[in-house]
Amino acid sequence: MALKERIEHNFDLTSWKGEIPIHYLYTYGVAGEKFFKEIKDNARLMGTKCPECDIIYLPARMYCERCFAKLEEWLEVSTKGYIYSYTVSYACPDGSLHKEPHVIAFVKIEGIEGGIVNILKDVNPKDVKIGMPVKIEFEKERKGGIFDIKLIPA
Amino acid sequence: MLTKKDLPGTPLKSGDLEKVLTLKFKPNLKYDWDNGVAIARYLEELKNGKIIGKKCNKCNRIMIPPRMFCELCFRPTDDWVYVKDTGKVNTFSISYVHWDASRIKEGEPPYLPAVIEIDGASKGMGILHLLGEVIPDEIKIGMKVKAVWKPDNERTGAITDIKYFKPY
Repeated sequence: MALKERIEHNFDLTSWKGEIPIHYLYTYGVAGEKFFKEIKDNARLMGTKCPECDIIYLPARMYCERCFAKLEEWLEVSTKGYIYSYTVSYACPDGSLHKEPHVIAFVKIEGIEGGIVNILKDVNPKDVKIGMPVKIEFEKERKGGIFDIKLIPA
Repeated sequence: MLTKKDLPGTPLKSGDLEKVLTLKFKPNLKYDWDNGVAIARYLEELKNGKIIGKKCNKCNRIMIPPRMFCELCFRPTDDWVYVKDTGKVNTFSISYVHWDASRIKEGEPPYLPAVIEIDGASKGMGILHLLGEVIPDEIKIGMKVKAVWKPDNERTGAITDIKYFKPY
């Protein structure tokens, strides 16, 4: 049975506009807190090692995701990485356009499980290649967050 | 029954969040909700200072807010029907918190959300709104209330064109 009334012209459409005011305060957790604190205070990347599985996790994790062992061995990892995957982003999450496209790269470090996802700076998107070496650097002014890390082509 | 001993973890105390690193973020959550035929007319009538419902000729229910489809008879609804701007309190609450769960300030009057069964609509048909000009302790279920409208020139076609319902 068809509806008896319908909107036939799109200019008759009305809508209700609103905004959902949500803000959140994310805490990094036990391992994440220590990981970002090391970046902030000591400008170094720390991973945790599972001696059973012989895996070093980056960012540092509290538990081994393979054997569930508690990870207590913290060690500094190299800041020489390579591009494992990347994307070129032209738009912000709200759909507005960036002035310049951003290269967002997933950088891995040889022999390390996991990696760092961040904006790759000082690069023309056309020159980015998978496998390309990347330096992981730290900002001078650090707040204890992911943007304390800078990814720059090596 | 679960006791505090059974629950692992440490509850947060005020100030704890200042001791750790945190990430603050405010997503831009805008929405644009399609009113459809029924709610578009309902809001337009509120702008005129009237409440409109819709009738199903099979079950004879007058529904408010209006809807294009009868969920009981599974058929399109039929006639537009103006209902009164008076009604009875079906249920209510006295709220000492804001919508975001923050406590109201000392001396700030509590919010009085209530479901108002509208006169002229079928039994149980009502809208969620606020009560006003009433002492919270004196609100009763079944209490007769009347809409207090914003002046003509301030109405925009929104449910807030009715400021609140007051006893009469």
